[in-house]
Amino acid sequence: MNLYLWFVLMLVMSSAWLVWFLYRPLKNNVLDLEKSNIALGKQKQAELEQDLQRELIDESVFEDAKDEIAQVLAVEMMQIATTTTVETQKPIPIWLAVLIVTALSITSLGVYQTLTSQSITSQNATTLQTEKPPTLAQSIVNIRKRLAEQPDDAKSWRLLGLALFDSDQLSESLEAYEKSYRLNPKNEIMLVEYASTLAKSQGNQFKGRVSTLVREALEVNQNNVDALYLAGWVAINAQRLELTQMLWQRALSLLPENQADRMTLQRMLNELAQMRNADGKSTTTQNKPIAQHQVTIKIALSERLHQAEFKDYYLMVYVKAAQGRPMPIAIQKIKLKDFSGVVILTDKNSVMPTQQLSQASKVLAVGTPKQVGFGNTTSG
Amino acid sequence: MLPEIGHFALILALIVAVLQVALPSVGLWRGNVALMQLSRPLLWMQFFWLIVSFAVLMNAFVVDDFSVKYVASNSNTNLPDIFKMSAVWGAHEGSLLLWALILSLWSVAVSIFSKRLPAQVLNHILIILGLISIGFLLFLLLTSNPFERLDIIPIQGRELNPLLQDFGLIIHPPMLYMGYVGMAVPFAFVLSSLIRGQLDSTWLRWSRPWTLVAWAFLTFGITLGSWWAYYELGWGGWWFWDPVENASFMPWLVATALVHSLSVSEKRGAFKHWTVLLAIAGFSLSLLGTFLVRSGILTSVHSFAADPARGLFILVFLVIVVGGSLGLYAWRANLMRSNNSFSLLSRESGLLVNNILLVTALLSVFLGTLYPLLLDSLGLGKISVGAPYFDAVFVPIMIPAVLAMAIGGYLRWKKDKLDRVVDVTIHMVFVISTITLITYLSIDNIYVVLATFLSTWIVLHSLLLLVQRLAQRGNPSMAFIGMIVAHIGIAVFLFGATVTTQYGVEKDIKMTLNETVTIKGYDFTFRGVTTLQGVNYTGNKGVIDVAYEGDKIATLKPEKRQYVTGMPMTEAAIDPSLFRDLYVALGESLGNGAWSLRLYYKPLIRWIWLGGLLIALGALLAAFDKRYRLKVRGK
Repeated sequence: MNLYLWFVLMLVMSSAWLVWFLYRPLKNNVLDLEKSNIALGKQKQAELEQDLQRELIDESVFEDAKDEIAQVLAVEMMQIATTTTVETQKPIPIWLAVLIVTALSITSLGVYQTLTSQSITSQNATTLQTEKPPTLAQSIVNIRKRLAEQPDDAKSWRLLGLALFDSDQLSESLEAYEKSYRLNPKNEIMLVEYASTLAKSQGNQFKGRVSTLVREALEVNQNNVDALYLAGWVAINAQRLELTQMLWQRALSLLPENQADRMTLQRMLNELAQMRNADGKSTTTQNKPIAQHQVTIKIALSERLHQAEFKDYYLMVYVKAAQGRPMPIAIQKIKLKDFSGVVILTDKNSVMPTQQLSQASKVLAVGTPKQVGFGNTTSG
Repeated sequence: MLPEIGHFALILALIVAVLQVALPSVGLWRGNVALMQLSRPLLWMQFFWLIVSFAVLMNAFVVDDFSVKYVASNSNTNLPDIFKMSAVWGAHEGSLLLWALILSLWSVAVSIFSKRLPAQVLNHILIILGLISIGFLLFLLLTSNPFERLDIIPIQGRELNPLLQDFGLIIHPPMLYMGYVGMAVPFAFVLSSLIRGQLDSTWLRWSRPWTLVAWAFLTFGITLGSWWAYYELGWGGWWFWDPVENASFMPWLVATALVHSLSVSEKRGAFKHWTVLLAIAGFSLSLLGTFLVRSGILTSVHSFAADPARGLFILVFLVIVVGGSLGLYAWRANLMRSNNSFSLLSRESGLLVNNILLVTALLSVFLGTLYPLLLDSLGLGKISVGAPYFDAVFVPIMIPAVLAMAIGGYLRWKKDKLDRVVDVTIHMVFVISTITLITYLSIDNIYVVLATFLSTWIVLHSLLLLVQRLAQRGNPSMAFIGMIVAHIGIAVFLFGATVTTQYGVEKDIKMTLNETVTIKGYDFTFRGVTTLQGVNYTGNKGVIDVAYEGDKIATLKPEKRQYVTGMPMTEAAIDPSLFRDLYVALGESLGNGAWSLRLYYKPLIRWIWLGGLLIALGALLAAFDKRYRLKVRGK
């Protein structure tokens, strides 16, 4: 059944209920305040006598207490006399009933329209009627249709960018984001998504336009957690690890206590701290037990890297899922002079507990030599 | 489409609530009975649409409709069905919807079970409850819509906080909300009386059973929360003076004062000012608790929201409610004068002392909870007020309250004689002092000696009072039995809390395979760790055999879980009994088969919750006293 019909049915039910009780009033509680107070006064007197029998009140003050109950009742009677209004059984005129029902219907629908901030056009209503959520491909078609009608809708361009990104159409996604950017460059969510997509298209390099977009996002909202996270990667790209730590710590402080992303960020911060403190204490996976799921990467180093000037350099190995977000899912750091030519990564090298290395069926690995233990992609 | 129907049902509930306030108000103003009586049918309609809305949201969780943002943020396909259902109130939006539903449920209960209330009084009360309902429904619709759709539908949802994937979550919040929201009923009774200008016996008599029921739920909810924290958080504690715990404890203290104050007001016509202020304070503190928890000011497992807009809305609502009701109080203050006198030594004075001590205790908790927040918000630095402050300030205030509690039942209304009270209680003082002395000679812990004295003081006085009442003609009333049960509950709680705090043993240790550690005669032998695969988590399960005097009495299997979100969780294993709990929590692997473990011996810890249950039971018994079933003939 159409959503509108449901709404109409709900309004009809409400109106029928209301009208029924307007013309068939409920029997009121058949006692008035005066009788109620008198009955309670009597009950209190009876309780007082019971208290006397139970020795809960002294005989010497019993009469006083009795008088007090009578006085309280007298005051109550006086209050009722000054405030009681005359009740009438006037029937409700038809116009008033119609007015109430109309007000109920119009206000309900008006509030719904205002709160949903989107008109229930025939197209949307059709979408809403289907219980099954649309697929990604259907979503892309729907958004494109909407954009054909409203090409200046920045929000829809952003959604198209996101949908295209999720379906791995990077260049088209970037175009959509660019259009959204031109229409509304102050949308922080769009800026973060655009930066993220751009970074992926650049082979996970967080520099150039990516850093500009992230900066713009932070200019709009300096507390945007996603932007702070990406800014951390931009800082890593620029080898400013202290800044990364500061940005991620700020992001961490902004996340609610029970937010699952906190764990991820905390772990990355720990990883970062370990890497910063790892002078001369390089660890390799060679001595560690090999887990069931592992990625073995063979890397041939050029002759130049074996020279003495690189003895304090690190080899950074990043692994990312072939499909998905551009962030690495596992990282391994090895001192260049200790490198044997093979790196084995397991779930223990996963950056995020929510996305273990073993969850990815296909991965891309990137290795890069760096002086401080972090670095850009230079070879793949 | 269903979420849109749920959303529309919520809007209908709001519009109907507005009509529930507007039409009967016009009816009362114009004296039109047909419009006046609409408050009840409109309230039922509001309740119906809230049920529809709630059912739709629950359905969205059960069928994994991740197009709904709230569902996608708090549930996933791996979540067991029972937790999918309880996840409805596992976060901010759903718990607010539950709140509105429970408020509506209370209102419906008042409309059905208040047949002895005159129609004009009942209609006023329902109008006030409708106004409160409007506030909460506006809050839901404007800042916390649980039916908000996602533009891009995720294939999989996130996860309900693993701490909340527990039986405790299924019942603790609804019970606590029943108590919190229940405080709206005495508040509505008071406000309707202030508006009508009739602070009479009818209001006082009929608001008491509702207050008692709300207080029972609040007690039960807090007790459940304490029990849940004990076994779920893995710390072995039962109360942490956490600001969120305090947020529920403050209305409880006020409600406790209110039920006592009401007993004087309804029987003797005194303390009306006090009763009105306590009823206003009780509901205001419930709202303050909501503000503290929902605004994001506090961070804990209870704090769902970190949205300033929500906090601001509740703050404005709080200001309107508190300011409006205090304004009404000031306007009608002259109606609360009472000429009823009582002497310094009387039951009225005893109950006044009880009230003053409870309110002082409340202020100490209020100060400890809000002062750090105030300092922080004024930029004057961060301070932490924890258990040492509360133990040092709250406990000494409660000692005289406990002493007075036992004596109060012996005092006579209006006026009593000191020699009579001494005559009645002197032999009890002797017995109790003897018991305390024996305790003192056998144990060297002053706190336990004091707790023994106070608990015995309450229990023996309560039992003696019961015996005396049974010896008199007629059966004791339910209100009297309820009082005895609740007071004994306080004694049980007091003794359990002190003994478990003073004699509990906690050991954080490293254990290797087949290593045995002995605590209070119990041998804990570590038998190793196995892996664990749950529906939405993996982890490790430890095996610890427990023996007493060589006989194996239990095998405890604590778990360390890693949920799919990456959040780790400790599931403690407990061997419970009435007199002691053995509690084991699994820590981290330390290599070479060694693990870190927490072993606790908790004597009498169950008494804490048993005491809470007795208090709640006592309140319920008192609420069903036959006085509240008075039949009054109609017009």
